[in-house]
Amino acid sequence: MVSAGRARTGGDERDAEAAPAGRAAETEIRQLSRLQLLSLIEGATLILLVFVCMPLKHFAGLPLGSKIMGPVHGLAFLAYVWTVVETVSGGGWKAGEIVRLVVAAFVPFGTFANHGLLTDKRRRLSDSECDSAGPST
Amino acid sequence: MIYSALKAAHVASVIIFVGGVLVDAVFLSIASGSGQPAISAVRRWGRTVTTPAMLLAWTLGLTMALQQGWFASFWLPTKLAFVLLLSALHGMQSGRLRRLEGGQTPAPNAMVRLGGLLTVGSVVAIAFLAVMKPG
Repeated sequence: MVSAGRARTGGDERDAEAAPAGRAAETEIRQLSRLQLLSLIEGATLILLVFVCMPLKHFAGLPLGSKIMGPVHGLAFLAYVWTVVETVSGGGWKAGEIVRLVVAAFVPFGTFANHGLLTDKRRRLSDSECDSAGPST
Repeated sequence: MIYSALKAAHVASVIIFVGGVLVDAVFLSIASGSGQPAISAVRRWGRTVTTPAMLLAWTLGLTMALQQGWFASFWLPTKLAFVLLLSALHGMQSGRLRRLEGGQTPAPNAMVRLGGLLTVGSVVAIAFLAVMKPG
């Protein structure tokens, strides 16, 4: 009886420890998904601005695209950089990774190049979430 | 000159006053038993009110600056430095709240610890620069 009680208590403790770890991983995965979406939007608006709107303005005399896409990209850039700050402020990021995330915003296709880094981080968090949920299932 | 200084001080006071009223409103909503944990309530407020307001402030501010040609002035880039500081502070606060909600206790950060002082100081500087437009 006693050992069964102990086993149950041990299981409950493991569940209690696993729950916050799983919740933390879930919150971080959601945040990384948000950052990944914003990085795609930032990258796409930068490519449109640099490779479509600016040539149209300078070589075809059509400034309308730049007038519209300039502010749209500006807003996407701000939202992306702010989300980078929000994401890395939680901790667990190397200095090199943070520099990579910020520099990518200034280079065409840069944020797309970070897709692998963010996917890898998400996968590792998903694995840790599964590990923490493992004993109770 | 005196009128502009008074106006700037008035704007700064109003912003700080409204910020305090909002803190009280969120705290009282949590304390009166809104049902959700305090950190979740604060994070929800940030997501639905503070962050959209910040993005709107950036959008409208940059639109005005472009329309009026203020980028060549002294005061706007100086003001932008304070705005960047406040935006970064909000990002750091948001990141830490996310970790706390996830059940973790992130190490204290000097900028977040001094958040109140930095916010009040930046708001005063921003109000004076925006209203008096020196240079």
